[in-house]
Amino acid sequence: MSGVERWAVQRAAGSRLGWRIGFPRLYLAGALSVLGGLLLWELASRFVVANALFLAAPSQIFAAIAALAKSGELWQHMSISAIEFAIGYAIASLLGVIIGFAMAESAVMKRVLQPWISGLYATPTIALAPLFILWLGIGIWSKVLVVIFLVLFPVTINTEAGLRTTSERLIEMLRSFGATPRQIFFKVSLPSAVPFILAGLKLGIGRGLIGVVVAELFGSRAGLGRLIAQSADAFNMPDLFAGVIVLAAAGIALTAGFGWLENRLVPWTKD
Amino acid sequence: MAPKLQISRLGKSFGELQALRDINLAIERGEFIAVVGPSGCGKTTFLRIVAGLEPASSGEVELDGRAVKRPGGDRGFVFQTDNLLPWRTVFANAIIGREVAGRVGPAERRRTLELLKLVGLEGFENYHPRQLSGGMRQRVNLARALAIDPQVLLMDEPFSSLDAQTREIMQTELMRIWEAGRKTVLFVTHQIDEAVFLADRVLVFARRPGRLRESVAIELARPRTLAIKRTAEFVRYVDHIWRLIEDDVRASVIEEKV
Repeated sequence: MSGVERWAVQRAAGSRLGWRIGFPRLYLAGALSVLGGLLLWELASRFVVANALFLAAPSQIFAAIAALAKSGELWQHMSISAIEFAIGYAIASLLGVIIGFAMAESAVMKRVLQPWISGLYATPTIALAPLFILWLGIGIWSKVLVVIFLVLFPVTINTEAGLRTTSERLIEMLRSFGATPRQIFFKVSLPSAVPFILAGLKLGIGRGLIGVVVAELFGSRAGLGRLIAQSADAFNMPDLFAGVIVLAAAGIALTAGFGWLENRLVPWTKD
Repeated sequence: MAPKLQISRLGKSFGELQALRDINLAIERGEFIAVVGPSGCGKTTFLRIVAGLEPASSGEVELDGRAVKRPGGDRGFVFQTDNLLPWRTVFANAIIGREVAGRVGPAERRRTLELLKLVGLEGFENYHPRQLSGGMRQRVNLARALAIDPQVLLMDEPFSSLDAQTREIMQTELMRIWEAGRKTVLFVTHQIDEAVFLADRVLVFARRPGRLRESVAIELARPRTLAIKRTAEFVRYVDHIWRLIEDDVRASVIEEKV
């Protein structure tokens, strides 16, 4: 170990330390931005728009969220939406990874599936939600199907791309030790595809949430989409915004949780 | 005694292009052989054929009397780029050759740890590649090839991506490690001074088609230190080899411009 190399290691450690010091300040900037935005919104809805039929102030929205939570209505809507999302997302993730593997491993499978995957990914399948409701009714299964359609394709495409773009140099390194195709798959291709698969799953979170809510708007008995639709019909702006805010919070929380998971599972992609 | 590596009438073509023609060579056990030549002379292709990563078009390579057809645990390859798996620690990267062979017991672990110590990475076993400098990553690359205890070590311009100072340090380190085990080494480089400093024999390749022009025996005493690079004897060797490849290098430079 030369002095230069020791210095490089120390410098790398130092920059990580710097990141820890800088982190709270970055957080602070984000928090100030959100608080400032909320303040502007509050002022605008009190003094500029000042019409409860068009805009609700943040204070009214949080009061509405508290009231909905207290009555138990919020939990009911949230749990229905969460179940629809979770079932659809789990099925789509599993199926997407399996189809992605099949396409990466077999040229025939890829030829057979590629036009459907590309076509359906490009189609705004959310527009099919009324059709699914017609087929499956206004219960949870029509929403589950919408979520599957929206989440499946990014997961499939990313899984396939991840397996296909494995570094040739890494494969060759393993081959130089006399590795079998099976060893190459498990020791190189699969681990190097994990960041891609996770990126696909992350993309699926936002798409899946949109799917749940829009499908509920088209027809449902409960769910956050239902809450938003019935509040809109009654011109109840605080309740409407309450539904939107809860949804946004769920989206942010899920994405952030996923980011944390990525940091744990694939830290090498973060530098 | 039979040579460690016997290369007979070796040829390689990529379609119309003849990359290597009629290479004949015997390498003794424990010899350190450097291969130099202008770009496009087929020196890396030659190394890859010996590794079994590339099939020969004609002729053959024999290791201890057995024909080489595919990669195997009797040869360790040190790549130009480190090719470390970013999700594995230094230790897990170094032991992967053993894993592929299906034997990872306490003895293999101990040997891998010893090798990491030998290449100067003691205490870094649990680091990940992204936490290491270029020189350290090449040390892992070297330890990984040595960990399978190969009969022959094949090195493909392993220091070419390092800065000049780190490269010189790595050259002396390689000498120290080699003195400790005296493996048979085939070392491809485009740096003449590196070849002369390290090798018992420098094979000078010519281009179009790639062929062996001359084998230059380097009779400098061992162990060698960097100071040897400033001796008249050393410079004479470098000059001699440079004159052998000068015209070829000029031709290849002009070709690359066009």
